[in-house]
Amino acid sequence: MSQYISKQDLLSWLGKLRESHRLAAPVRVDDLVLFKKVERVEDIALDFDNTTLSPKEFFFPPTETLFYADRKDGQVELVPAEVTEETVIFGIRPCDAKGIATLDLPYMEEPGDALYQQHRDRTTLIGLSCIKACPECFCTSMGSGPDDASNVDIMLTEAGEGYIVQVLTDKGKAIAPQLAEKDVQAPPAPAVTPVPSEGISEKMREAFDDPYWGRLADRCLHCSMCSYVCPTCYCFDIRDYNENGRANRVRSWESCQSPGFTKIAGGHDPRADKGIRLRQRFGHKLLYFPEHFGTMHCIGCGRCVRSCPVNIDIREIIQDVQKLGAQK
Amino acid sequence: MTVSNPLLPHLATLQEVIDLTPDVRLFKIEPNDPAVKESFDYQPGQFIFVSAFGTGESPFGLTSVAYRKDSLEVAVRKVGTVTGSLHELEPGATVGVRGPFGNHFPMDEFKGKNIFIIGGGIGFAPLRPVVTTIIDHKADYGDLFILNGARTPQDLCFSDEFDTWSASPGTRLELTVDAGNDDWTGRVDLIPTVVRELALSPENAVAIICGPPIMIHFTLIDLKKLGFEDRQIVTTLEGKMKCGLGKCARCNVGDKYICQDGPVFTMEQISSMLEQF
Repeated sequence: MSQYISKQDLLSWLGKLRESHRLAAPVRVDDLVLFKKVERVEDIALDFDNTTLSPKEFFFPPTETLFYADRKDGQVELVPAEVTEETVIFGIRPCDAKGIATLDLPYMEEPGDALYQQHRDRTTLIGLSCIKACPECFCTSMGSGPDDASNVDIMLTEAGEGYIVQVLTDKGKAIAPQLAEKDVQAPPAPAVTPVPSEGISEKMREAFDDPYWGRLADRCLHCSMCSYVCPTCYCFDIRDYNENGRANRVRSWESCQSPGFTKIAGGHDPRADKGIRLRQRFGHKLLYFPEHFGTMHCIGCGRCVRSCPVNIDIREIIQDVQKLGAQK
Repeated sequence: MTVSNPLLPHLATLQEVIDLTPDVRLFKIEPNDPAVKESFDYQPGQFIFVSAFGTGESPFGLTSVAYRKDSLEVAVRKVGTVTGSLHELEPGATVGVRGPFGNHFPMDEFKGKNIFIIGGGIGFAPLRPVVTTIIDHKADYGDLFILNGARTPQDLCFSDEFDTWSASPGTRLELTVDAGNDDWTGRVDLIPTVVRELALSPENAVAIICGPPIMIHFTLIDLKKLGFEDRQIVTTLEGKMKCGLGKCARCNVGDKYICQDGPVFTMEQISSMLEQF
């Protein structure tokens, strides 16, 4: 027997949640599926493969004010930004939930990031198992899987005319709907094409000085799309903007692929070379982050593979680097 | 749950602004909150972020020493937007301060050793608290040898203190410039050339270098020729930084973050890094 909710009850539950929370869910926008604040539950897309962008922006927004500096009578007063809204995100795929758990590692490591922590504390995650794998998916090679429920508060798995529901945390309990007992089986998890990620960190180290990275970078446009669509990329920039007499200190997404990412005062740039920048991206994902945090800095969602205008494909890179290492 | 916000600066006031060279100013800064001021402890080699509100914030090595219980001091060369804005500020202006960040020079490990300090241009800034500490506790250390170089005589930082340093027992100061002028009677040599000429003994010695990457590169070659081993050479790495907390990942070099694991490294540590900055 499983805890179960019909599709109709699901929508009315989400409708109720919408009254007490900011509810974000996958919504179709032209040919994209994006996490949006839900205005009408009928707008929620239930039949999507995965969202075009991950829900990263709800925890680490593309731009976010950290504090405001007000000038009054020659004095400066700092007003820190605060997260006050309670949010529920519905429809997170297991890979993206692992993406959030991966972001937690740097941002919650001491000293914790105050705003990130507030976003996390005030957000409840409702996951949705995958019933289909996309051609670019490789989550099972990155420590997750189509039915991995380990990083959400409530997990839903489509079964028959409704969903099997697992309430997994106290946060989940706090918003859980009325559930029925039903004798249904979850459909088998879809098969995901694996990539040979086993032992890749050590192979990355061995391939560090290989001319491979320069050759790969020949076609890279350093557009940084890979970083912007990545659920785990967390590098940022901080700048001040002046608005209505206030100075806003703003944090924004930044990419290790942009020229100038490491350029310091005086003009020295240790990563002026595109190949070295590209190596940094994969070095961070497959070697440095795993060394520091014990888990890959990639969740196998395949978004960078889909988005790269010149088909730089992390799955191919993993295969290539495994072979480069073997040649030595 | 509340997490204190390490990206939120402490408000602070510029106490004094002193011209060190035509483009380097020394800023003496005091946190406004007496509790913050009192508890602001730091070691030579550590750095702080200084905010010019409305323009931004940048990291600067502290040039002062905590035990003197004086203002926080940073030497700022005008090279960009934030440093440009800081240079426009006058005493009494409000700035922001975050920190201190990073590791520090192992002053305890230096005790009993002969110290060879080599600084180029604004690179001397983080070395100045090392010099001050050694001179203030001279009995704890061996001979102190200071080599300070700059592009021109006017660009030599901390020239007001040269007489004090030279007069300190067991201390020798050498100055050199890339290009002299009519008043300059001292050396006109590149730093590596002077290092070669001085031929200091590596025995029971440690060399501490800070300066532009090209100067460090060539000075290392000469130090090694003199017999200095990697573990006897200490330097600082510079990296683009936005947070100082190991989060923005701008100063990530291999598995290290310059802001947290550095900025002070021995050449032994740097040689073992995958990527060379």
